[in-house]
Amino acid sequence: MLPPLIRLENIHKGFGTPILEGVDVDVPESCIYALIGMGAVGKSVLLKIVAGLIEPEQGKVFIHGEDITVMNHLELAEVRKKIGMLFQNYALFDKNVYENIAFPLRRLFDLSEEEIQERVAERLERVALPGTEERIPQSMSGGQKKRIGVARATIAKPPIVLYDEPTAGLDPVTSQKIYDLVREEQRATGATVMVISSDVAGVLTIADRVGMLHAGKLVFDGTADEAKTSTLPEVRQFVHGLLEGPL
Amino acid sequence: MSAAPAKTPRWLLLPAKLGTFIMLMAKQVGGLSILAGKVLRRLTPGQIDRHELFRNMNRMGVRSVPIIAATAAFTGGIMVIQAAPFVEQVQATSFIGWAATFTTIRELGPLLIGLIFNGRVGANNTAELGTMMVTDQIDALRALAIDPIAYLVVPRCLAMVSMMVLLCVIGDAVAIGGAMLTADMLLDIDPRVFWASAMERLEPWDFWVGLVKSGLFGIMIALTSCYYGLQTRGGAPGVGRSVNASVVAAAAGIFIMDYLSTFILD
Repeated sequence: MLPPLIRLENIHKGFGTPILEGVDVDVPESCIYALIGMGAVGKSVLLKIVAGLIEPEQGKVFIHGEDITVMNHLELAEVRKKIGMLFQNYALFDKNVYENIAFPLRRLFDLSEEEIQERVAERLERVALPGTEERIPQSMSGGQKKRIGVARATIAKPPIVLYDEPTAGLDPVTSQKIYDLVREEQRATGATVMVISSDVAGVLTIADRVGMLHAGKLVFDGTADEAKTSTLPEVRQFVHGLLEGPL
Repeated sequence: MSAAPAKTPRWLLLPAKLGTFIMLMAKQVGGLSILAGKVLRRLTPGQIDRHELFRNMNRMGVRSVPIIAATAAFTGGIMVIQAAPFVEQVQATSFIGWAATFTTIRELGPLLIGLIFNGRVGANNTAELGTMMVTDQIDALRALAIDPIAYLVVPRCLAMVSMMVLLCVIGDAVAIGGAMLTADMLLDIDPRVFWASAMERLEPWDFWVGLVKSGLFGIMIALTSCYYGLQTRGGAPGVGRSVNASVVAAAAGIFIMDYLSTFILD
């Protein structure tokens, strides 16, 4: 069995009050790993820890076998080049669609304008938004902004892609389209994907593995089918949306 | 059952508040110093984003010229209006040119232009960086392996300092023009007499003092506005709080720096 591409060991983090209290997660290579859990349980914090955007108080984060918690900012920047990230509230820049998607290419690679144009057009085609290069993201719908975010996160073909609530605030049809896009992208590139979501039904349609955070710990780690049939009270209640239970 | 926390005695409230204030000040000064250190470390020619630098110089400097020019013109005029009764009383018309230009170049020019620049450019810069913070754009830059200090802060600081100095030169010239025009209209002092009076007594050092001050005020505005912008938390209300704190802190810093630089440079 391949070693995990992303490994989190005994992660502790809090902001005044403890949020993560000894979380261990293994994400195998070329897998879609869905991290689920109630709101404010620390899912986004954990994802930002993986991206090196937040430093854990305790614990180690291994990416490709290297512990990023002991790296300086230059070494961390090198690791981040291997990671693409979609943010919950888009985090698109005050530029047009073309410049937003081309941004990582311009900053990190020495490509000609023709090559950049070609790759941006390919990405926009892929996320079903061809011909929107000149539009300003602020004037677009939530679903369109998410797709632009996906295009930006994946344009540099990173081996790791992190999605923070990719369907938050979207209608069910648009949500499923976004999930399908995430799945298709992963199949096309073979990237290792971590998705965090409160939309269990949707995310389970694409996840290879599922982890559930509860009370600062990872209380479940298994396949999507195992999550659906789990007898753990927290998992059962959350996955099936039951009112009765410990949550 | 845990005991309720003991109430702070009334006589300890004042020292407690004073201590809190001192700790807050120390935190702000420490934060500004760390940011200044980070900016200095990235001030190598290869690391500076020229496109961002020129873009910021244009929007921060070039677009500030009209408001700076208007303020400066009126300031020059006001100085002559204020001095007019005294000048007429003692028949010291040959001093008005020197007095107006000396005050403008050494003191009022850099100070007023600094305050206007702080209100227009500093506040805008804090709001922009603050909005980028609360909408995760700064994190997005870091996630893309782009250093936000090198990409956002360094070009803004360079643009603000250089434009502040240039605007001060422009503002000084316009203020002197305004003073000259007002002196001609109100006191019937020929512009050539005004100019000769200024040139006779002004020294190059006076001009340099003004430029040094404007550069120092530019550094103060740049660091303060970037620092408060990057410290923003808590959505749109947080951006408002940051802008307010930034403008107040930079204005206070400008006056403190003006006092110290006047003391040292004189």
